[in-house]
Amino acid sequence: MKHLSRTEFVDLLDPFASLPEERVRHAETCAECRAQLDALRDTATAAREDGDAEPSPLFWNHFAARVAAAVRDEPVPARTAPWLRAPILTWGTIASIAMLLAVGAVWRTTLHAPSPAQPIASADRAPDIALSAPPTPDNADDDEAWAIVRAAAIDLNWDEVHAAGISAHPGDVENVALELTADERVELARLLDKDLKRNGA
Amino acid sequence: MRPRHWQVTVSRDRTDPARPEAAAPDSEDDHALVRACLGGHREAFDAIVERHQRQVYQLCYRFSGNHEDASDLAQDVFIRAYRGLHSFKGNSAFSTWLYRIGVNVCLNRLGSRAHKWTPVAVLDRPDLGAERADARLLRSERAAEVRAAIAKLPNKQRAALVLRVYHDLPHDQIAEIVGTSVGAVKANFFHALANLRKLLKSQS
Repeated sequence: MKHLSRTEFVDLLDPFASLPEERVRHAETCAECRAQLDALRDTATAAREDGDAEPSPLFWNHFAARVAAAVRDEPVPARTAPWLRAPILTWGTIASIAMLLAVGAVWRTTLHAPSPAQPIASADRAPDIALSAPPTPDNADDDEAWAIVRAAAIDLNWDEVHAAGISAHPGDVENVALELTADERVELARLLDKDLKRNGA
Repeated sequence: MRPRHWQVTVSRDRTDPARPEAAAPDSEDDHALVRACLGGHREAFDAIVERHQRQVYQLCYRFSGNHEDASDLAQDVFIRAYRGLHSFKGNSAFSTWLYRIGVNVCLNRLGSRAHKWTPVAVLDRPDLGAERADARLLRSERAAEVRAAIAKLPNKQRAALVLRVYHDLPHDQIAEIVGTSVGAVKANFFHALANLRKLLKSQS
């Protein structure tokens, strides 16, 4: 018959555990299992002989007072975790904060979004920066683009323009001038100047 | 004056030879005390300490081997229990929950520390009064050898042996305390006894 397993040895040491009859009989008849069971039982008995670790009877009052004093410094334990103590209030606050954060994020990405790629300021690109902003009544006289437009438009005969099939609308010329780069504007100014001089203006 | 619904009888004597686990403090009383404590009655915890201080101290003593460390560890166990009282769900016995804290505290604090064993003779042992001096000395030496050998066991084996031999806890409760299966507890207990035997043999 198969020898006893570790679990069966432990069960045989437990006075309250019950093993099948044939396993108990094996433990009684098998010399090997019997010897091992006795050895385990002797060891358990040797350990038990140490008895209770009982300090002086006076110790308990002293100990209880020590624990009570230590516990007095602690906050009274909560029935639930502190952050869940008032669920409605707490979750309401969390929802409000989340809403504020969401609104802030939307506001930041839409209203406060940075303008599309601004050229980096440098000495040679200064005219670009000056021209990138639409002219205002205050700076219109100083604006190079407006000067070009004014020079180009001053002698225009709008009837001839329409007759030529060019449908210009107010603001179109300004828009075109604003789209030009600094070099293009310089070149346009040179051409217009040359043309005006040729026409004896 | 408000009635104290949580007031319970404190049982000082837990030793019941008929069935050890039946001798544990009444679980219902423990649950009532925990509820009272969570309800703001701090003094209910004093009653909890009074009911369980022996088992906690003895557990700590078996792991530490000396009175000084055992009392410090036991105090730590109760403070941790107080702090975590809200996490006690009542699914298991309060003593099981407390034992779990105790085993964790002892293994964490003492796991890698050398033990300072106090000879058993310095403890109050009223039953030794009539014993002959030489027999007492022999017994004391033997007990010290056993404790030193137990201290050398791996943690899980030591926990299984201490809880089974010195606290008479059933295997299923030990499994709940140490967080393993009953089979694993039995295997650990078997190996603990086998290793303890080897260690005692090598010492003698």
